Amino acid sequence: MRFVHPHRGPWRTVSGDDGPLVSITPQPHLLLSLAEWHAVRGHWPQGMPVGVQFANDLDVEVLEVDLPRLALVALEFPKWTDGRAYSQARLLRSRLRYAGEVRATGEVLVDMLPLLARTGFDAVALRADQRQDAAERALGYFGGHYQGDMLDAQPLFAKPPGWAEHAARPPVREFVDAGVSI
Amino acid sequence: MYKHTPFDRHVIRQRAAQFRDQLQRHLGGQLGEEEFRALRLQNGWYIQRHAPMLRVAVPYGEISATQLRALARIAREYDRGYAHFTTRQNVQFNWIPLARAADVMDELAAVDMHGIQTSGNCIRNITTDAFAGIAPDEIVDPRPYCEILRQWSTLHPEFAFLPRKFKIAVTGAVEDRAAIAWHDIGLQLRRNDAGEVGFRVHVGGGMGRTPVIASVAREFVPWQQILVYIEAIVRVYNRYGRRDNAFKARIKILVKAEGQKFFEAVETEFHNILERDEAGSAHLIPQAELDRVSRSFRVPVGVAQPAAANDASMRDAPGVPLAHQRWLARNVHSHRLNGYRAVTLSLKRPGQPPGDATAEQLERAATLADRYSFGELRVTHDQNLVLPWVRTGDLRALWEDARAANFATPNIGLLTDMIACPGGDFCGLANARSIPVAAAITERFDDLDELYDIGNIDLHISGCINSCGHHHSGHIGILGVDKDGMEWYQVALGGSDGSALSGAPLPAKVIGPAFAADEVPDVIEALIDTYRRERSGAEHFIETVRRVGVESFKSAANAVRRATAREFAA
Repeated sequence: MRFVHPHRGPWRTVSGDDGPLVSITPQPHLLLSLAEWHAVRGHWPQGMPVGVQFANDLDVEVLEVDLPRLALVALEFPKWTDGRAYSQARLLRSRLRYAGEVRATGEVLVDMLPLLARTGFDAVALRADQRQDAAERALGYFGGHYQGDMLDAQPLFAKPPGWAEHAARPPVREFVDAGVSI
Repeated sequence: MYKHTPFDRHVIRQRAAQFRDQLQRHLGGQLGEEEFRALRLQNGWYIQRHAPMLRVAVPYGEISATQLRALARIAREYDRGYAHFTTRQNVQFNWIPLARAADVMDELAAVDMHGIQTSGNCIRNITTDAFAGIAPDEIVDPRPYCEILRQWSTLHPEFAFLPRKFKIAVTGAVEDRAAIAWHDIGLQLRRNDAGEVGFRVHVGGGMGRTPVIASVAREFVPWQQILVYIEAIVRVYNRYGRRDNAFKARIKILVKAEGQKFFEAVETEFHNILERDEAGSAHLIPQAELDRVSRSFRVPVGVAQPAAANDASMRDAPGVPLAHQRWLARNVHSHRLNGYRAVTLSLKRPGQPPGDATAEQLERAATLADRYSFGELRVTHDQNLVLPWVRTGDLRALWEDARAANFATPNIGLLTDMIACPGGDFCGLANARSIPVAAAITERFDDLDELYDIGNIDLHISGCINSCGHHHSGHIGILGVDKDGMEWYQVALGGSDGSALSGAPLPAKVIGPAFAADEVPDVIEALIDTYRRERSGAEHFIETVRRVGVESFKSAANAVRRATAREFAA
C-alpha cells in the first residue's frame, strides 16, 4: 500500500475557486473531475499520464472505455462510514480489469486499511491527523481471511491443505513485542 | 455444533487483539468518539442508557454448555450477574464497563465466541429455526449453510459499511419458524423437481417505521451459487441504498422504490460476477466444503435411535403430576429421531424480564445440557433456550432438574411466553419501558388454567419503533411510544411471523390511539375476553381475529380506557 501526501508527488487538480475551468491545457499528472475528463478526453495526448477523481455516487462502469488511458482513479470517502467506494474499487479491479492506481481519498482513517487493501486500493491519502505507521500496523492483524478478495482471489475453502493452519500460526514475536500503540 | 478450526480461532483471537488496540487508542485519546463508535459497534459494543451493552454472537443460535459457563463467568465477574437472550438468537450483557471490554473479548475468544458484526452497518448474525437439524418437518438442515454464510460474511471487506444493518435468516423446514419474510434476505431451503437442493430467496423484508414483507427474488438458486447470489444482492444495496436518511436506508426501501428494476439489477450483477469477473466463480461453494462443514452437524456421538418407536406419550400414564403433564404438553417438542425430544427451557417467568438468565441459571442450563443434551443448546428467536437431544426416558428427571432451576414454567407458546425487548430500562433508543409492561401482563395472567384455555398466542412487546421486540409480527403487538415526555403504548392486532399458526406473514394493525401504561393489562384482558366470546370451536386467538376482523376487539380495548378516554373520544 502506498501512502500519498496531497502536497507531495506529481498529481495536481485543476479546478479553481471560480468553478471548473473553461479550458484545460493537457499536462502530465492532472487529476480531473469526471466532467473535466469528458471535456478533454477527445484530444488528450496519447501516453500523457492523467487521472480521474471519481465521486462515490457514480457508476464506475461509465469509465470502462477510458480505463486503459487512465493512470489513476481516485475514489472518495466523503464520510469514512460511506462504503460505496469499496464496491467501486472491487468493480474496477475485478470486472473492468483496471491496472492503474486506485487511490482512496476523503475521510480515510487508519482502521480502514485492511478493507481498502482487500478491495483493490493500492494507494491511500490518509486524513491529515492519521499516522502512517498506525495504518501500516492495521494491515498486519490477520494471516488470512474466509472470503477471497482483490489481494487473494481464493476463499479459504479453495486453499490447498495446510494453508489455513499456516495462516493461523501465532503472530511473529517481533510484531507482538513492538506493540500497537500510537 | 460447528467445530472451530485453528483458523477460525485465529480470526476470533486476532479480531479481539485488533479491538484491544482500538479501545486503547480510544481511551488514550488518539481515536475519537465518532470514529471509535463504528469500530466498537462492529464488535458488538453499544453505549447505552446506563452502561455499555455488549451483544455476543450466537451463530444461528447454537451454543454449548462450555460457552454458557463462560457467559456465566463474564456475567459474574464483569457484569451484574445476568445476561439477556435476544430475538436474533444472540446474548447481551448490560453492565460491563468499557475499560474492561477488551478483556471480555479475550474471555469470549477462549470459548470461540465474539461480538463480530453483531452491530454496525454490516451483515449481522445469520439466524435460523431453533429446531434446525432435529425438526420432523425438516427438508434440508440449514445449519451447514448458515455456517458457510457466516464465514463468507465475516470481515467481508466490501460490505463493512453498508447504508444500514443487514439481517439474513434461513429456514430448512416446511414451517417457517425463522420469520424469514421479515428479514433483509430470507432463505428457504428446498428441493427442485430433480431433487437438487437450492434456496428460494426473499429480499426486502423488515420491521421498524415501515414494516414490509419480503418479496421473492428467485424461486430457486442452486446451493452452490448462494454466496454469489447474496453477493449480488448486497453489492446492489451497497451501491444504491439510500445514504441520505438513516430511516430510509434499509434494503426494503430500495426494493420498494425500484421494484422490478431492483430484481433485474441483482440478476445482472449475479450474471456479471460469474461471467465477467476475474475469479468470478471463486465463491461457488464446492461439494468438499459443504461436506466438511456438514460433518460438524451430524447427530452427536452417543445419540442412538431405539429400534421401535416406543414414543407413547407419558402424559396419560397414571400418577403423573399435572405440572409434569403440562410441561410435557407445552415445553417438549417432537423430534425427527425416534426416542428423542427437543425441550424448551422457559425464560419467561414471573420475577424476571423475558429472555433474562442469571449467572447461576446459565450454569444450571449448562449442567442440564451436559446431563441431558450432549452439551448442546439452542437460543430461540423468542428468547428461550432449547435442549435439542433429550432422550424420552430422561424427560421426568429433566423436568425435576429444570424446575429446580426455574426453567420449567409450562408456558411455551402461551400468552406469558411473550417476546419483549429490554426497553427503556436499558436501551438508549427506547421510548418507553417494556419490562414493566411484560411483568404486569405476566402477573395478570398468572393462572395456568386460564393460560391453557387461551391457548397459543404471540404477544410481542417493543419499547420503540426499532422493533427489537418484533411487535409488528405479534398476534398482539405492543409498541412503546413517547408522547409529551411520557410513556404510552400503541396496541396492534393480527400480525404474523409466517409460522403455521400465524399464517402468511403480515404486519399487525394498530387498533387506536396509544394507551397509558396502567391501561395495558386491562386492554390485553379485554382482547382475550373478546376472543373467548367470539371464538368458534377450538380456534386460536389469531384465527378468531382473522375470521371476525378487528372491530369487536377494538371496541373492547377502547372501552377500558381511563386516562386516555378523553383523548380517544375527541
